[in-house]
Amino acid sequence: MFKELVEKKRYSFHEGFNDWRDAVRAACQPLLDDGTITPIYPDEIIKKVEELGPYIVIAPNICIPHAQEGVGVNDTAMCFMKTEKPVHFDPNDPEKDARIFVVLASTNNNIHLENLSALSETLSDEAIVAKVLEAKTPEDLLKVEE
Amino acid sequence: MAKLKVIAACGSGMGSSQIIKMKLEKAFKKLNVDAEIYHTNVGDAKSQANNYDVVFCSESLVGTFTGVKATVIGLKNLLSEKEMTEKIQEKIIDKK
Repeated sequence: MFKELVEKKRYSFHEGFNDWRDAVRAACQPLLDDGTITPIYPDEIIKKVEELGPYIVIAPNICIPHAQEGVGVNDTAMCFMKTEKPVHFDPNDPEKDARIFVVLASTNNNIHLENLSALSETLSDEAIVAKVLEAKTPEDLLKVEE
Repeated sequence: MAKLKVIAACGSGMGSSQIIKMKLEKAFKKLNVDAEIYHTNVGDAKSQANNYDVVFCSESLVGTFTGVKATVIGLKNLLSEKEMTEKIQEKIIDKK
């Protein structure tokens, strides 16, 4: 999973963000740059979270920004971001803090399902998550799955 | 036990709900529960919930399902098979 993300330059590393909305936008930036998504997509993600709560934080430290298929999305892709400091989604719930972000975009359900399956498989492994949290460069990411 | 009808729900129906579905399939298999799992967004899930036995969603979405007849199970950690297995055992199997 990380090899492909690094090869396609779909990753970024940041110190931290005071506002989770800025974190979501930054996580989406590489996909905006390569035309996979349009600016509507991060707007949609943010709107849904404002409406429903931080359901995109799926596990401690792990956030998967995504919104509905077909709105502002041109291709199927994942994009990785890591922050050094936790991003707070709910000021009253530290379990909704995140440092690992994987943006999901989909136009092709089969590829999307393969992506999701790889993602859930990889990030269910606590040893891998610990290594990802330590990663500071794309080279570190490549070593995670070795 | 008759086949269990399950909905996995998330805000958009395309990310977290599919992860819940993948994880649930494994968990149900291990527990020997015959289940059919459908994944969708919360709006759709709420309107269809009465045709299903159980709804699984992220804990932050549980409030959306107030008033539905189905058992609603909120998950803290969508990647934790342990949490899922324990909740299936406690809220589904032990209740039968």
